[in-house]
Amino acid sequence: MMIPRISFALCWVMLGLVLMFLFTPIVIVVAVSFTESAVFSFPPQGFSLKWYYSIRNADGLLASAWLSAQVAFISTLISLVLGTLCAIAVVRRMVPGGDAIATFMASPLMIPGLVLGIAFLQSARLIGLNDAYATLLIAHIVLTMPFIMRTVLASLSMFDFSMVDAARMLGCSYPRALWRVLVPNILPGVMSGALFAFIASFDNYPISIFLVDVHTKTLPIQLLNQLEMSPDPTVAATSALLIMATIVALIVCDRLVGLKRMTTI
Amino acid sequence: MNVVAREAAHARATPRSDRYLDVAAVTKRFGAATVLKDLDISVARSEFISLLGPSGCGKTTLLRLIAGLMKPDGGRIAIGGNDLTQVPAHKRNIGVVFQNYALFPHLSVEQNVAFGLEAQRTLKAEIGGRVQNALALVRMQAFAERRISALSGGQQQRVAVARALVVKPSLLLLDEPFSALDRKLRETMQIELRHLLRDLEITSIFVTHDQDEALVMSDRIAVMNEGRIEQLGTPDEVYSSPASLHVLEFVGQSTRIGGTASASGQGGDVGIETPIGQIRASMRRNSGPTGKVVVGIRPECIALGERPGADFNEITAELADIVFFGSKTALHFKPPAMEDRIQVEVARLPSGVAPGAALKLHWPIAETMVYPTP
Repeated sequence: MMIPRISFALCWVMLGLVLMFLFTPIVIVVAVSFTESAVFSFPPQGFSLKWYYSIRNADGLLASAWLSAQVAFISTLISLVLGTLCAIAVVRRMVPGGDAIATFMASPLMIPGLVLGIAFLQSARLIGLNDAYATLLIAHIVLTMPFIMRTVLASLSMFDFSMVDAARMLGCSYPRALWRVLVPNILPGVMSGALFAFIASFDNYPISIFLVDVHTKTLPIQLLNQLEMSPDPTVAATSALLIMATIVALIVCDRLVGLKRMTTI
Repeated sequence: MNVVAREAAHARATPRSDRYLDVAAVTKRFGAATVLKDLDISVARSEFISLLGPSGCGKTTLLRLIAGLMKPDGGRIAIGGNDLTQVPAHKRNIGVVFQNYALFPHLSVEQNVAFGLEAQRTLKAEIGGRVQNALALVRMQAFAERRISALSGGQQQRVAVARALVVKPSLLLLDEPFSALDRKLRETMQIELRHLLRDLEITSIFVTHDQDEALVMSDRIAVMNEGRIEQLGTPDEVYSSPASLHVLEFVGQSTRIGGTASASGQGGDVGIETPIGQIRASMRRNSGPTGKVVVGIRPECIALGERPGADFNEITAELADIVFFGSKTALHFKPPAMEDRIQVEVARLPSGVAPGAALKLHWPIAETMVYPTP
């Protein structure tokens, strides 16, 4: 089929516009974080790193970043173990109604965050769970589970279990066969799932907002507070650091398993 | 086939008395279904045996039991006198070539072949050489560095064979390894693998539902049906003297005609009344069943024209179809009294023969097989 030259041109223009739409806010935030002025202004005036220094002194910013990282890491880790085991049981048909279970585990993605947040708050009240940290953690396990389940299920459905038999016939015991053959083959999928899960937890706002208290605030919530109370470029500097951390994480994942293999899952 | 003939055939088929692989009274159940019932089979050292049967006959189950990937509910499996029934799969030292090859996509060709040696803690210095030798056997040295996904189907099969052979297994199991290959390549690989395994003198068990494959490759064929071995014999025996109606139906083409056998025909033969007239069968070949029987004839045994002597059956039938295969031509006859067609194979079609013609057919009574109606 011949596609007219004009269509190609139009496609390229659209691509350019979409990329601009995605990248402009990032570029602006990073640029603003280096400004000398005390207000958000673009283009930035002068060049300074003072807003990066001020992150240290900003009220609770570092503490909330640490909390967010903890919650994201622990909830992702727990989801990773539970989700992978659950996915194996579903794929190998070890339990009846496996497909229904898989759909249920992935459902939090389809429910508005605010609804989930209120539901978690009420449930926590109902069972007398007053600890904000524990409630946050439980909510974030539910939140991260769909990412893990989806990617692990996709990886396992493409995994040929006769490879495990082959490894056993070549001299590996069953657990060793799983470790040497199953794990390396589903790792790219599992890693990409874990990365998305971590990010989803780290920047979650709508669920966390219902569950935090004065002493336990996650970074997105603390950032918004900061923006309301003292709207200076400290927030921009924090955002720039987060963007950098994401880029580093992507590079590390690329080196470990290859981004191409991760994104094909 | 009578008992004496069957024993004689068995003696011919197992010239070596050693029972290298010995499967004795093995039973396997899945829930309420019994897949294998008290199955016995022994295989001589360096013999190539096919398990042939329709899907669901238990051949793959038997293979997995021998491999140790499943546990039998009863019976005993031994190799070279060592009872392996309780030995786990990874300690049996049995090589398997899986239906889809089950190669490891995260490893290169070389690493795939080295996998078994590493798992068995072979000395590092020894691994490289043995991997190269194994790859040389299947002519894949040039592809050692490749990823599995960069190989064609035939190349993948070669790697799978090398990976199974490199650990010097005491037995090689092949689970329909040709089913993923196209016809031309399949025929080449069959001959090649047969030569390789014969040269290495490795004892092999080959599972297939493809009778041609079994006939081409095997020293002996075990024809299986519903969890039992119906016949164990050389390809020639299984084809020319099927032990049961199922074997006749499953291996090769045949014409089958229902009829009633009378107690004794003339001259020590058995006479069968069929819709197309009386057919005589030699007693020497058949156990002399009476009552409802099925007569079986191979297509190449039937010839056109009047019978040359008294030792032949003769009928007249209308030619319905001519199917040209190149090296042979199949003729289908449709007698009005019969539901099925009579299949005849001739090397060359006589001139002037066309569908609709009534032709005389004859075949030796010695090539007429009779089985009781199941």
